[in-house]
Amino acid sequence: MSEFKPSAGTAQMTDDTFRLLRDFIYEHSGIYFSDTKKSQLENRLILRLRANNLSDYDKYYYMLKYDPQAAKELRSLFDSVTTNETSFFRSPPQIQAFQEKALPELMLNRENMGEKTLRLWSAGCSTGDEPYTMAIIVKELLQENLCDWDVKIFASDISEKALRSARAATYNEYTLRSVPPEIKKKYFISNGTQYKITDEIRMLVELQYLNFNDDKRVRLMRGFDAIFCRNVLIYFDDTAKKRFVSQLYDNLNPGGYLFIGHSESLHNISRAFKLVHFPGALGYKKE
Amino acid sequence: MDNPVFDTIKNIDDLPTLPSIAMEVIALSRSPEVSINKVSECIYKDPPLATKVLRMANSSFYRRGSNEVDTLHRAILMMGLNEIINITTSVSVLSILPPKGSEGETLRKAFWNHCIATGLIARHIDNKLGMRSMGREFVAGLLHDIGKIILDEYFHKEYMEAHAFSIDVDCPMYDAELEVLGTTHMEIGHFLAQKWDLPGYIADVNLYHHQPIDAKFKDITALISISDLLAKAKEFSFGGDRLSFVLSDQQAWHILKQMGYPVHILDLERFTFEIEDIGEEVNRYISTVSEPGTEENVHERI
Repeated sequence: MSEFKPSAGTAQMTDDTFRLLRDFIYEHSGIYFSDTKKSQLENRLILRLRANNLSDYDKYYYMLKYDPQAAKELRSLFDSVTTNETSFFRSPPQIQAFQEKALPELMLNRENMGEKTLRLWSAGCSTGDEPYTMAIIVKELLQENLCDWDVKIFASDISEKALRSARAATYNEYTLRSVPPEIKKKYFISNGTQYKITDEIRMLVELQYLNFNDDKRVRLMRGFDAIFCRNVLIYFDDTAKKRFVSQLYDNLNPGGYLFIGHSESLHNISRAFKLVHFPGALGYKKE
Repeated sequence: MDNPVFDTIKNIDDLPTLPSIAMEVIALSRSPEVSINKVSECIYKDPPLATKVLRMANSSFYRRGSNEVDTLHRAILMMGLNEIINITTSVSVLSILPPKGSEGETLRKAFWNHCIATGLIARHIDNKLGMRSMGREFVAGLLHDIGKIILDEYFHKEYMEAHAFSIDVDCPMYDAELEVLGTTHMEIGHFLAQKWDLPGYIADVNLYHHQPIDAKFKDITALISISDLLAKAKEFSFGGDRLSFVLSDQQAWHILKQMGYPVHILDLERFTFEIEDIGEEVNRYISTVSEPGTEENVHERI
């Protein structure tokens, strides 16, 4: 890394500062900003600069690194670097990895064991876009054979408001922007502006309130073939993260997959999983 | 183990040949008489090639320091003879292998993008693990799949069938090639590398990048094997190779580990994120190599 030179008072992120901040954020959160995401990081952090009354990014980096109050700022920083947005078929390569690789493999294993059961968990399901996406994928894969299978998709969140929305299962066009037209036609009933999930999909999903700090209840979530826990870990401190991820490991069946956010990693959190490379996405497998 | 396709390819009279200057440079590199002057004089005999080599030497891929390298002599002093020979080989092969397939550019482009991505990823891993392959890793990555181009060029219909087969059945290209053509891109690539008298490691990488344990040049073949997979994981793939894999379970990974390379220091998640932008590097490489070289500006530089 080249020499660190604090720049004059303009709020422009130099490449060196970008790398320092990028590495800092990765070390502390496992979230990685690739070189092309420099302006994205810049835009997100400008608000943090203003909030802290700082004139440039170097000072912000110094503050994060050396200020005793930095722990508090870290939380705000992570809030501003994550996109708290959910939509159907979010992060398509990950969804494809699940659909084309992980799910067929999991189902084959189950069938070989003579058990046609499938348990999936959308941990941190927000307004339901993710668990319903999973349900649509399962239905698409099994088609009419779905009735031979015992499929349950658990979907949990800590926000009652989000869960209410998920129960209503009604969405606008924008949330459905990545949904292929034929899927939209098949699994949504539209009144022109709103789209409601069909009952056959809704019935596959079981929504419930769950606080991830509630160890006892989290421990009861057992026997999952796949868990989606995307952009959730960011809200935990290191100790909680480690505890929670090791719990997720226990919640999975052998051979099961964990999917986290597409720019998140389990760096410094867990080495228990096998890292699996899918086309355009990473997954974590319990062996 | 010959078969009709392999036999036909062996007997094709108009298989592409390397430019004579490139052959001379490669031969020189093996000779005990090799010297900076001899190599640079040799490359200058082909001015467009010299221009391309100089342009490459000045590109962000190779340039060290801020001064422009304006003569080959200087480039060799700065970068070493091996690197210049590697660049000459890359540029020459890229210039003669048909840039367009009969199906138009799309598939050929995907092919070269995959090869360049493999070379660039190999370069990154080589750096991280301190393997000191001295640029050979890039050439090897670039040329590891040349058999595919030849199969596509001379058996286009069958190759498209194999391509479709690999997508339908979700199997690697080499299985599909065996099924449809009875030979593989590894065999054909190996044959071509030998015919062109390319350095032994390139022939080896061609034959064994899917099975590095059998390679003579084990470390570079294992490196390319891994880079090939990662290029595919970044969706720089050709055909039905939409693989999923555990890198640390790969034969190539174990080979590097056994050979004492510090694979454990590689943070694989981070590395995967780092090569997120590999597409941009690939484009930059292509635009550097594909600007036409002109005689005039070379003479100015001489």
